[in-house]
Amino acid sequence: MTSGEPMLHIRELVGGYGSVQILNGASLKVDRGQIVALLGGNGTGKSTLLKATSGLIKPWGGSITFDGERIDGLRPDVIVRRGLVQVTQGKEAFPAMTVEENLKLGAYVVRDRAKTANALERVYTYFPVLKAKRHQLSGALSGGQLQMVCIGRGLMSSPKMIMLDEPSAALAPQIVMDIFRIIHRITKDGMTVLMVEQNVRMALLLASYGYVIKDGVIHIEGPADGMIYDDNVRLSYLGGTVANREALL
Amino acid sequence: MDYVIDLVVIGLSIGMVYALVALGISLIYSGLDIIHFAHGEIYMIGAFIGLMLFQKTGLPYVPTLLLAVFLTGLIGILIERVFYRRLTRAGGGYTVAGMGMVIVGFGMSIVLQNVAFLIWGPKPLPFPVPFGLPVEIGNLALPMSYIWIVVTALVLMVILNLVLKKTMIGLAMRAVAHNKDIAYLSGVNVPLMISMIFGIGCALGAAAGVLIAPINYVQVQMGTGILIKAFAAAIVGGFGSLPGAVLGGLLVGVVESLGAGFVSGTYKDIFAFILLIVVLMVKPSGILGVATKAKA
Repeated sequence: MTSGEPMLHIRELVGGYGSVQILNGASLKVDRGQIVALLGGNGTGKSTLLKATSGLIKPWGGSITFDGERIDGLRPDVIVRRGLVQVTQGKEAFPAMTVEENLKLGAYVVRDRAKTANALERVYTYFPVLKAKRHQLSGALSGGQLQMVCIGRGLMSSPKMIMLDEPSAALAPQIVMDIFRIIHRITKDGMTVLMVEQNVRMALLLASYGYVIKDGVIHIEGPADGMIYDDNVRLSYLGGTVANREALL
Repeated sequence: MDYVIDLVVIGLSIGMVYALVALGISLIYSGLDIIHFAHGEIYMIGAFIGLMLFQKTGLPYVPTLLLAVFLTGLIGILIERVFYRRLTRAGGGYTVAGMGMVIVGFGMSIVLQNVAFLIWGPKPLPFPVPFGLPVEIGNLALPMSYIWIVVTALVLMVILNLVLKKTMIGLAMRAVAHNKDIAYLSGVNVPLMISMIFGIGCALGAAAGVLIAPINYVQVQMGTGILIKAFAAAIVGGFGSLPGAVLGGLLVGVVESLGAGFVSGTYKDIFAFILLIVVLMVKPSGILGVATKAKA
């Protein structure tokens, strides 16, 4: 476990659902303490890549190394125990549970009351609004607050790395800013982040390295500040014409 | 008036038995998304195991009950692991396996009846428990066996509620019931929790079997009738809702008892279904059910 090797190393990942192959040999690396953005249009394999990494679907081929050990093919809860947590798209919380119950569930693998309490306090410092609402059912929360619950739940097991699937999806611009600010703060506190995003500009401003996935393979990669102004990134992301470019600017 | 109170007390205690079986069915439905058609047979196996323990070991009633409940829970876990889970390997998990699950459930019910027949034979067996004299309240005489049922069932329900609401395991089981992917990503061992949920569901069925046994005989076909009543109870209360299962069980028990006492004992079984039809006409999702599937 040298600090030189990447936290997460995905090599030639192949996978899909049923008989539909979606990942056609995608490779990427996430270094320790880095925010890496994974960009791409709809149906290019972003979410599938995260699901294969977190164990929700079994990869068909290739390898995934996390913190020096192979994790491909392991059960999702085992991968969480290893310190890699995925926050899914769609702000999925348990509506019949209180905010605090939702968060505590994230510390299911911890089994230590003191550590759980500490993790809970840390999540509340990131998201003070959740502390105020901790005894409310999560079904009564706004979209932004739900996203906070989901990210907070992901942080509760004090993972080494967190994978966020479109944290800004379907949120008001102001809330998006809040969420990105908090992701930035979490990374400053030492977290490694792989972030799938549709909000290309914001994601690249926050990330240090970016990958663009297309048809299940990595199409473009490079340092994030170079990618922001790269026309190919925009085109590949939009999958469309130069005319669309103006709309994004 | 005393006659009415008598009927209500009998109805409530039988209703508690329905409620326990309905709770098991609802719990399994909320956790695994399957309707377990062999649950009546689990209830029957529980009663037979209780009877065997009671006769062979000479244990008192309560330890017998607990041991039978535990053993039947284990049998349930074994059945789920060996047979039901096999169907989910085709992909999609329990949610998708739907119709196949129903068929396997029916098959399991036939298999369990025949296994019980081979082991314990066709004759209804008595389960003689010396509960003591009836309790006299005013000019009412409440048989101890009925009081036992109500008290034991209440204790089990309170324990179940505490486990589900206050423990991490309970939290994890509720999470699995609602969304298996998110439960997985929270670090919950989902396959293990599914076993636990199924085991607890079967344990509740077995408790009902051991509780009713001293009043009725223990026999191979005892599961068929209770399954239909428990389904009626679960649907009346709102399928998948645990408080609904209890409420539905009690309502079915009381309505049945009053109907038998005032209208006709011969047509006793009809009243549960009249109640079911009325509830479904007024509120199709059941009394405590919500339109969408609200679980556990």
